[in-house]
Amino acid sequence: MKRTRALALIAAAPLAGCAFDPSAIRVGSKNFTESFVIAEIYAQSLESAGMRVARLFNLGSTQIAIAALERGNIDLYPEYTGTALIDVLHLPPINSSRNAYAVVSKAFAKRYGAVWLTPSPMNDSQALATTHAIAARHRLATLSDVARAAPALRLATIQEFLARPDGLPGLQHFYGGFDFREVRTYDIALKYRALLEGKADVASAFSTDGAIASDGLLVLRDDRHFWSAYNVAPVVRAATLAARPQIARVLDAVSPRITDRAAQALNAAVENDQADPADVAAGFLRS
Amino acid sequence: MGDFTAHVGEHLALALSALTLALSAGLPLGVLAAESTRVRGAVLALAGIGRTLPSLAVLMLLLPWLGVGAAPAIVALALLAIPPIVIAVDLGIRGVPSAMLDAAAGMGMTRRQRFVRVVVPFALPLSFAGLRTAATETIASATLATFIGAGGLGDEIVRGLQTDDPALLFEAAAAVAVLALGADLLLGFAGRRAANA
Amino acid sequence: MNPAALRFDGVAVRYPGSDRYAVQGVTLDVRGGELVVLLGPSGSGKSTLLRTVNRLVARDAGRIFLDGKDIDELDAVELRRSIGYVIQAVGLFTNMTVAQNVSVVPSLLGWSRSETAARVDELLQLVGLDPARYRERRPSELSGGEAQRVGVARAIAARPRALLMDEPFGAVDVVVRTALQRELIRIVAELHTTTLFVTHDVEEAFRLADRIVVVRDGRIEQAGAPFELFEQPATPYVRELIHAGDDVYRQYFTRGREILRSP
Repeated sequence: MKRTRALALIAAAPLAGCAFDPSAIRVGSKNFTESFVIAEIYAQSLESAGMRVARLFNLGSTQIAIAALERGNIDLYPEYTGTALIDVLHLPPINSSRNAYAVVSKAFAKRYGAVWLTPSPMNDSQALATTHAIAARHRLATLSDVARAAPALRLATIQEFLARPDGLPGLQHFYGGFDFREVRTYDIALKYRALLEGKADVASAFSTDGAIASDGLLVLRDDRHFWSAYNVAPVVRAATLAARPQIARVLDAVSPRITDRAAQALNAAVENDQADPADVAAGFLRS
Repeated sequence: MGDFTAHVGEHLALALSALTLALSAGLPLGVLAAESTRVRGAVLALAGIGRTLPSLAVLMLLLPWLGVGAAPAIVALALLAIPPIVIAVDLGIRGVPSAMLDAAAGMGMTRRQRFVRVVVPFALPLSFAGLRTAATETIASATLATFIGAGGLGDEIVRGLQTDDPALLFEAAAAVAVLALGADLLLGFAGRRAANA
Repeated sequence: MNPAALRFDGVAVRYPGSDRYAVQGVTLDVRGGELVVLLGPSGSGKSTLLRTVNRLVARDAGRIFLDGKDIDELDAVELRRSIGYVIQAVGLFTNMTVAQNVSVVPSLLGWSRSETAARVDELLQLVGLDPARYRERRPSELSGGEAQRVGVARAIAARPRALLMDEPFGAVDVVVRTALQRELIRIVAELHTTTLFVTHDVEEAFRLADRIVVVRDGRIEQAGAPFELFEQPATPYVRELIHAGDDVYRQYFTRGREILRSP
């Protein structure tokens, strides 16, 4: 295997610089802002360490990304422990970051020949958010507070949140309460406006949404640990990692720096300021 | 299912409010355009542009000024419904034969009497046609209200999309079509009754 | 009924936005019950002159008196309700039945429904239309001649003391026109309505008029009884106008309307 690789490398030397570069590490991403940015962070980290990288971004869904990884079309991509757990392995959600990570890394190694590198602290889990003013007025700090105060509160959300089992129905079942005075659904890009225009008191969210940073919102604490952990980590083909162990070294050094706050800021920059994910990633790595 | 019915009700309420608003602006504008050549040019040009604007674009363009919610949705829908009404009313009024107007004036009708007894009955069929167009367009466009939290059948359509439920999607879309068709038939009937009254 | 006397005194009307005159220096006396024909080619100002009487056209100079009262001192709308007005295109209201059309002025004047209904039947008879068959018809269901009869009925419904007619029979064919002319003579004689009738048709003028007023470029060329104009045309223009169809109508001129009036 090593010899074939070496031969391939030599044969490919003249093709260096061309997109179809066998020595390039192929980094994939899914099709939303955060995925682009994190994949860029991984890619640029590897490039700074002297490795050649080919970007195969915008893979349509988790299923597509996994398949690409398995077939060897890509070498690594950023994935969330929660997504892997629920959408890929079809297991029940696990709130503890550590346990979730343990389960998915074991399963992926066995089933897909893929390795989960060190995860980031950022937890792109579902959340409920509100403004500091509203939180103060209704004394909201945790989800239990919201469950209790719901009859006086208006929720702004998207249709999916009302239908998915770990959305509102799940919250109502797990926490009890959550009988909102009013529930209105919006386009995902507009739901925070309702909050800011005073037309809603609580909005469903993802805890790393850019708006949380840019609009100064408060994320309510999941005090009873309902929602699954959604920590992001690079998922790498075992074969690629065996051949290029430095990948782990490079990415393990950068992953701990991606916190919730950092992720919010990165997302905000792309969504609000129309910055390029590559530029935003570069800025992050420089800081 | 109760949710679906509630959304149907919301949808109709949105459309009705928008149409009422559109009529209250469109009728006088149409009359004004018919009576003054100067005004007509400007009004019809705006109406012409208004007809071609995509509904979603109008909704989104209004966001900075009107925000989200039912009121902005109704305003956006009304703005889209005004052009067909204005164009039809203007055409209807200008179509009144001058002989009728001359005779009416000569026999001693006041301006108001001429308008009510001669112009309005003559312009009614065309005006109703304009209202029919506006109504069907409004009912279809009201699905966009879901984007800004104003409810309606758009909620069901988006739910069908986001939860990958083609049956729901079809049901909701069919409901919109049925409402639009129903409005068209109802107004067509009412228009014929009014013309023959 | 008391037919109105009409007097024009130096009436002038300018073309809108222009210094040129459509009607100039018109002075004319119309006796009560007279049928005066304003005769002239298109553009001669005869229709404009007609429409100064019910103030559909505003005058730039001169005065008009209806029974000695200056028409400017009356409310325009009320004035119009007391003067019948018939136009070539008739202008029947298509959203109303024949009966409703004829009832317009009486209803504007506040007549009772029974009064109005009776009057409608009376008038339809008068203009030669069977009320039972025509009352509920729509204008779209009428022939040209029938429509104009309704137009006349509508104009005289409220017993106006004057009647203005602007080429009313111009749009119908010759046979119908002749019939309508006879009817008009009969009606006007019966009702003694002072009538001002505009036409460019010399033959029609000779049939209908007590007096003919030849109008040219907004001025009166000559005013007089038909035979006066025939025997003694005041200007070459009048002579040319009257005698243009001489070879055909020579036999009619001396005996005028008498021939047409006899059964």
